[in-house]
Amino acid sequence: MATEEHHDDHHGIAHTASIKVLVGTGGTLLLLTIVTVLATKVDFGANINLAIAMFIAVVKATLVILFFMHLKYDKIFHTVVFLSAVLAASLFVGFTLMDSGQYQQTNIWNPDAPPRAPFGPRPISG
Amino acid sequence: MSEKPHPPSDEHGHGHEAHGHHGSVFIQHHYDDAQHQFDSGKLGIWLFLAQEVLFFSALFVAYILYRHHHPEIYSYAHKYLDVKYGAINTAVLIFSSLTAAWAVRAAQLRQQKLLIACLAATIGCALAFLGIKYIEYNHKVHEHILFGRYFDPCVSSGNRPLLTKNNKCAGHESSVVWNAGTARADAGCFPDYAIDQDVKRDGVQASCSVAETKVTVDKSGKVTSEVAGRAITEQCPEWRPSSQPQQKTTYPCWRPGYQPAVCKVGYSFTWLEGEAAKFAGPFLSEDECKKEQKKKAGEIKDGPAPTACTRSGSVGVIVEYGDHGTRPADLRIKAECKGPPPPPVVEDLFADKPQRIELGKPIATGAAKETKHDAHEREAAGPPPEHTNMFFTIYFAMTGLHGIHVLFGVFVFIWLLIRAIKGHFTPDYFGPVDFAALYWHIVDLIWIFLFPLLYLIH
Repeated sequence: MATEEHHDDHHGIAHTASIKVLVGTGGTLLLLTIVTVLATKVDFGANINLAIAMFIAVVKATLVILFFMHLKYDKIFHTVVFLSAVLAASLFVGFTLMDSGQYQQTNIWNPDAPPRAPFGPRPISG
Repeated sequence: MSEKPHPPSDEHGHGHEAHGHHGSVFIQHHYDDAQHQFDSGKLGIWLFLAQEVLFFSALFVAYILYRHHHPEIYSYAHKYLDVKYGAINTAVLIFSSLTAAWAVRAAQLRQQKLLIACLAATIGCALAFLGIKYIEYNHKVHEHILFGRYFDPCVSSGNRPLLTKNNKCAGHESSVVWNAGTARADAGCFPDYAIDQDVKRDGVQASCSVAETKVTVDKSGKVTSEVAGRAITEQCPEWRPSSQPQQKTTYPCWRPGYQPAVCKVGYSFTWLEGEAAKFAGPFLSEDECKKEQKKKAGEIKDGPAPTACTRSGSVGVIVEYGDHGTRPADLRIKAECKGPPPPPVVEDLFADKPQRIELGKPIATGAAKETKHDAHEREAAGPPPEHTNMFFTIYFAMTGLHGIHVLFGVFVFIWLLIRAIKGHFTPDYFGPVDFAALYWHIVDLIWIFLFPLLYLIH
């Protein structure tokens, strides 16, 4: 067998992650979890807070994918498969969001008797 | 070559020997070799993971759309969730991801004991995750913080007792009788914009979180109320910014800012002796309220006439508490709003502006302005905004589906643990460990997004 020789090298049939990388990734992930919780307690404005939380989540996800899931050392094709799924998902989200703004008007058929205002308290502005 | 384990398998000998392969007995004969088998499996699991991303993305779409259109629901409802539990679960999952990745390494390096330990730790973490989820779900079931029409919370997200429509919160009962004809509550303590009130249907729909209350008015107009519930307090915080002192008032309340018989802020609320004419109700519309106020204005001597009505109705609202037979007849009471004391004369127009400190001069401070934090506190004390149930529909769909993945992971890792104990995994056959770990990482990855999206809304 042509590939038989592979089995004798240190890495065997796949890349072996070093303890340093594993523990380092795990530690960073825990650290980022603490950071993201603390970041919520500071008020940067709703959108910036959301952006920070999502940025940290993306960094964490990237760490998991690259090191825990070995994608950094893996075949490029697996990256392609995964990224196409992410791309498809973002198209899905993006197009739905673009479309969703189109149906929000209310047609008031009888201007003399407009529909009642919605129940419940008003949202907090700002 | 690697040392062979001795599985009891009968596949042994028929297949891989023919290929001249000397590795694990689990290398199937239809693969060229261990590498071929591993690579095929790996491609398979990556395709599965890609599908998982798409699968969950549908729920993320629901989440994003709803948050985009109804940010107020998210800012209100996330306070029902305990960040503590979410954060612990995040840490638990990250740790289990580490042990899962380490298990792969141990299998690759033939570290049998370490492999077993890592797999066991992963299972332990997964069970811990599910245990914490159980605590969270259990609390939500108990307080009726559920999905769809089962969302009927006993407390506000600021943990204040709430009126609920199904009378199911333990120890709290008092009904609202809704009149669809007049679109008002004939009896009870619900204003007409109350949560989940079906305005097209007559009858008892809502209940106060008031257990048993006895309100008596003596001849001099002094009001005494005995409260057996958690709701009514003598010191009703008609909601004020925390920077202002709480005013002591004598009307019952259970939803600060949303009292059915609330007076406009600054007005005082007085029980009048009940003539028991009309029993409990009606809640006044804004117009009626204004008329009523104009009428009453002449009678109110101590203070200027009220000029505005709150949305929740103000003057002349009659409220009934407690619908048990224990309620005495003299419970029929009438309430009235009194005009506020004249506002203090503002001498310094710049009182609320920053001032230079001058010796010997007192510093005038302006009226306290409601801060953002105060506003959030006030919102959290009140009832949920409309459609808050959608947050929990999405919450339960997302965390529930994720939880099912975790549960499935537990079974997979138990299977791996048994195989590991039997010594099935060798440096040329550790695919199952690797693939299960990849699956586990995706589960972790989804939680990495769920945690900030559900628990950490600012």
